[in-house]
Amino acid sequence: MTPLPLAAVTLTNACGVGLVEIRRALRAGTSGLRQNDFEPARGLDTWIGRVDGLESAALAPDCVAHDCRNNRLARLCLEQDGFVAAVDAARARYGERRIGVFIGTTTSGILSTELAYRSGSLTSGDASAPDDESKAGLSPELYRYKHSMYATTMFVRSYLNLSGYAMTVSTACSSSAKVFAAAARAIDAGLCDAAVVGGVDSLAMSTLFGFHSLELLSRRPCRPFASERDGISIGEGAGFALLDPRAESAVRLLGAGESADAYHMSSPHPEGAGAATAMRKALSSAGLAGRDIDYINLHGTASRANDLAEDRGVVSAVGKEPAASSTKGWTGHLLGAAGITEAVISALSLIDQWIPGTLNCERVDPALHSNLRVDSQSMRLRHVMSNSFGFGGSNCSLVFGLGQ
Amino acid sequence: MKPLAITGVGVCGAGLHDWMQATPVLDGTAPFEARAVDKFDLACLPPIERRRANETSRLAIVAALQAVEHVSIARRERLSTVFSSADGDTEVLAHLLAKLAASDIMLSPTLFHNSVFNAPAGYWSLGCKAQAASTTVCAGRASFAVGLCEASSQVLTTGEAVLYIAYDMPFPEALKRLGRTTMAFACALLLEPTGASEPGRFGMIEGWQREVGARETDAELQTLAETFAGNAAAAALPLLTAMAAQSASEICLPYLDDERLRLRYSPWS
Repeated sequence: MTPLPLAAVTLTNACGVGLVEIRRALRAGTSGLRQNDFEPARGLDTWIGRVDGLESAALAPDCVAHDCRNNRLARLCLEQDGFVAAVDAARARYGERRIGVFIGTTTSGILSTELAYRSGSLTSGDASAPDDESKAGLSPELYRYKHSMYATTMFVRSYLNLSGYAMTVSTACSSSAKVFAAAARAIDAGLCDAAVVGGVDSLAMSTLFGFHSLELLSRRPCRPFASERDGISIGEGAGFALLDPRAESAVRLLGAGESADAYHMSSPHPEGAGAATAMRKALSSAGLAGRDIDYINLHGTASRANDLAEDRGVVSAVGKEPAASSTKGWTGHLLGAAGITEAVISALSLIDQWIPGTLNCERVDPALHSNLRVDSQSMRLRHVMSNSFGFGGSNCSLVFGLGQ
Repeated sequence: MKPLAITGVGVCGAGLHDWMQATPVLDGTAPFEARAVDKFDLACLPPIERRRANETSRLAIVAALQAVEHVSIARRERLSTVFSSADGDTEVLAHLLAKLAASDIMLSPTLFHNSVFNAPAGYWSLGCKAQAASTTVCAGRASFAVGLCEASSQVLTTGEAVLYIAYDMPFPEALKRLGRTTMAFACALLLEPTGASEPGRFGMIEGWQREVGARETDAELQTLAETFAGNAAAAALPLLTAMAAQSASEICLPYLDDERLRLRYSPWS
């Protein structure tokens, strides 16, 4: 593919609000995870990556229709790192109709409906249906502006004063990696000239209780690639990147690869075959070979099966040489926002010539053969890969390189 | 964007059983009777997945299979897919919300994995052993048009065929205040670069013009449009009608904000 410069990036999650705080947490090895204190899911014995203050960070009165946890998180993130100013400059250059918006999410603002439904059925005493739907607060507006899968993209687009091509990509935990591929195609096909890509996922009952039902939640902070790993920690977060073909920037998207496992709805292919295919396609799209990759930011969720499958995929598609680490010990698994979060962390690695290690991994599982780095370290980096895999067997790998 | 060829089509919705039965209904030579979608058995899936598959997955897969009827099994496995939906699986959502409102919250793993927006894409890839790229997108009422653009951009940038599937289903009783869709609808289009495909199947879309102004409904489509009001996937109906009638047409699809996307359809002569 034609390399695409990342003209601006920003991140917000449990490790910090904006890149300064997130870099500081990565350098200091400070995890953002805490014991579950998310009120709607109280009683679940797990650790979470919660962003402080969202409960009281209401949107401005002119955005009140969009006011929900996911959009609050989106706004908090958009306000950091001069991101809005960078989009303003791009808008002046291309026009508001020529900048696309591509947002990955799995939750959107579903929490609003979960809570409304719950309060309605608790008053009616019937969990199967709230007696009085209007009393429960269920309304077409709630659904359209907060909960529906497009609601987050609609809010981001309106917040940034853009009116170009736009979509939500919702492919579980690969969603906000795949936005890079969708944006690159759209620019290539002439649907837009530049793009805001991103991901926003916030804590919700459905995801916390859902992963609990699959027995995938650890009772401790997640320990990616460790012998004792026993499940994931769910977090919330947002991240954005401005892709501008004409910008000069430190980091460029060089390649993207997508594939499907065609194996199982919620378990990865045991040999990581689909994951390996995505990595090979990303390399081929970047015009690179496995030996050109210096660092891989792994999907590394800390589920027993996922880490094993990804490890096999990495060894088969990229090799045992590149340094690899998972940053989920810092952030938790951000689901629909995992792709953008780890893409931005990969970009920071290139800029800083420094890789984060693997937090909470005391003893690397000897059954895993990729070159896992437990300790953070300075390293000469030219090309890095970021992996994201999701339910439904949806895989996406991205390759980033230094700008020219 | 450049022109594209449509080389396969499928439909499944209330009163539209499949493309064969729907063709005379769409071109106006047979009457339309809205009735609930038949319960389809997905023989392409392994027995366990066949039992687990949710309603949107059934709808989407039934439409998709028609669009690739003439395509070899080996080629289906390599076919990239784009799925679009405005609302995802509303029935699964209703079950999920009811379970989460209970005092003792217990979800089933199947309910949870069926609640992911890309569940139909997952079941499709399982059924066809398709390991190619697959994405699932949403753009509210513009979902059909945006999904078509995403699929078309893939065809144009890769030079390969892409199977595009759009689906939406009614909101169940407990959630009827969330949206006004009352009838299920899904359709599928096999899209290819012009020239690369064998001509003779269907036609070509081109034009791709964004315009200000809402879409007007054609008089002859009135009954269908009313039946499928609120169903974002059913925005495909004017295009499917042109394909059924084999007539050159200008087609307007609901697009983002209050805009419409104007396309030109021309059948292979």
